[in-house]
Amino acid sequence: MAVYRRGYQRYEGALTNHFGRMMVIPRYSWERILSQRFVTILLVVSLFWPVLCAGFVYLANHTELWQGLGGGLKRFLAINGRFFAVFMNVQSTFALIMAAVAGPGLIAPDLVNNALPLYFSRPMTRQDYILSRLIVLLGILSLVTIVPGMLLFGMQVGIAGFDWFIQNWYLGAAIFFGFLLYIGVVSLVALTSSAYVKWRVVAGALVLAFFFLLTGAAEMVNHVFRVDWASALNPAYALNTVWAGMLDIDIPDDKPGVMECATFLLAISGGLLAALARKLRPVEVVR
Amino acid sequence: MTPWQQIWTIARLELGRVFFSKRSFWVYLLAIFPSVIFTGHAIDATLKARQWSGRGEKITAEVMNKLQTGMTDQEVLRLAGKPVTDFERTRRPRRREEDPDAEKQPEVRRYMMYFDGKRRVDLRFEDGKLVGRNTRDLLNFEEDRKVYAGMFQFFYLRLGVFFGCLGIFINLFRGEMLDRSLHFWFLAPVKREVLLLGKYCAGLIAASLIFGGGALLSFLAMALPQDPAELQTFWQTNGVEHAVWYVAAAMLGCVGYGSVFLAAGLLLKNPIAPAIVMLLWESMNGFLPDVMQKLSVLHYLQSICPVPVPLPSDMPTVMKMLLAPAAPSSAAVAVGGLLGVTALVLFAATQAVRRLEINYSTEA
Repeated sequence: MAVYRRGYQRYEGALTNHFGRMMVIPRYSWERILSQRFVTILLVVSLFWPVLCAGFVYLANHTELWQGLGGGLKRFLAINGRFFAVFMNVQSTFALIMAAVAGPGLIAPDLVNNALPLYFSRPMTRQDYILSRLIVLLGILSLVTIVPGMLLFGMQVGIAGFDWFIQNWYLGAAIFFGFLLYIGVVSLVALTSSAYVKWRVVAGALVLAFFFLLTGAAEMVNHVFRVDWASALNPAYALNTVWAGMLDIDIPDDKPGVMECATFLLAISGGLLAALARKLRPVEVVR
Repeated sequence: MTPWQQIWTIARLELGRVFFSKRSFWVYLLAIFPSVIFTGHAIDATLKARQWSGRGEKITAEVMNKLQTGMTDQEVLRLAGKPVTDFERTRRPRRREEDPDAEKQPEVRRYMMYFDGKRRVDLRFEDGKLVGRNTRDLLNFEEDRKVYAGMFQFFYLRLGVFFGCLGIFINLFRGEMLDRSLHFWFLAPVKREVLLLGKYCAGLIAASLIFGGGALLSFLAMALPQDPAELQTFWQTNGVEHAVWYVAAAMLGCVGYGSVFLAAGLLLKNPIAPAIVMLLWESMNGFLPDVMQKLSVLHYLQSICPVPVPLPSDMPTVMKMLLAPAAPSSAAVAVGGLLGVTALVLFAATQAVRRLEINYSTEA
């Protein structure tokens, strides 16, 4: 057939499975993100704290090493919800910085270069696109949150035994689902910033500003109005409170509880998702 | 044209862009946010006083003082009458490590609130006994001034001015590179140092006006709704002085942070890394040794703030032990130190801008 006679023809061949198609974006993105020097440095630095915590777990489970050093030490060296809450708090800071570095480059370049029509002309929906970008961040942020967290929990189970696991299995679930929730919120903030701000640098600053400024604003409202409910508007506090509920730690009576904080997180995630979906449309405006 | 005239011309051209661009919108929001909150507080206090006066018994200060811990809820109701608010909350007890199988009895807590026209008292009952009592004024000038000082140092300087300057000053050079328009400036017959100073002046004028104005506005929003007699005394003693120092601190913050972010935008392709480092450095400022605390912009800004901020009462003891704020520098040293550091940073930036080569293809 002559070349000029070849018109448009729909591809009729076999398609790769849905999940496989979705994983194409993460596969390439992970490679690109992990090749950045700053990300490597951050990954290494973020592993110091889990290593220290692993030492703590070892020490806590070898009573013979600190026998005769006082009863207060026993309470201090207990591996419980409080210990994992501190661990999660520290690791979440690294995850936030990682999201500020890795997140903004995920959507902004596609929007700046009008690449969305190229994605959506393939068998990929908007939901698939957002989900695949979320998977990119899930994979990267898991390396500093879920992976070390579960390894630490596994180490404690390995040393303390199956009985400890039976009594404290909920701690493992709290680490996994707590971090998953954190990654979800942080990733949505990073992706929305990336979708609305075309400069990677500014989008990165916006991710940090979102968390720091909301924390400051919530504290300001609390102090000026002499109330406590505004703490729920602080994403860091809200996440910590939900974690505390999962880890079975006491929550101050006068501050917003788990339900209030979870509702705020749901609302904020819904808002961010709606904002993302509004921005990600395969159209090109010609002025 | 003298270099000063060139600097002013460049600054004038840039000013419009900094003040009126869509990208500056959020900077205005940051600057006026505290004044919105303080205005909201004044409106809230007025509305609450009106609302609470019409609900429940309006008790006298004498009765309020008689409400002591250990009293039963019935005794309180007999003494003070119907409260403004009264509700119960059932609390699930936590799992106890020493006896995880112990039967868990839900704890019922009762909360009441009374109002005497100026003060409110919150009462907390457990098992029918008053165990917690908290009295506070609806509007308390002394307390509000402390709250303002805390807000100014913890929110306005550390976050508002910091992120505002990050946005404004990084935009001056890095923004032009991303927009691929910097070469137009470089084609103009001016020295690059002059261009840098012109752009810095534009950023500084805009940031100082926005954040200095924001500081003044929020200070007025905090002070004006207070009791007129107290307010008059305040203005006659040190009110004006406080307002001036707060505005000066905000402006000097713009001077210091502005120079750092301008230089970061020139020296590094991704200025977010130094911004993160600086944010962490300034955040842990109080925990560092004296000498190192003096290497931060925040130390000098806090030194000229008129009201020191007390440590939060709910701060863990370990943190209080670690926190050792350095003695504040004198106003002259603080201002001089900040200006000196700014001059040094700007000098480094002028060296960088001289060697700057534009390669738009690597920017994204």
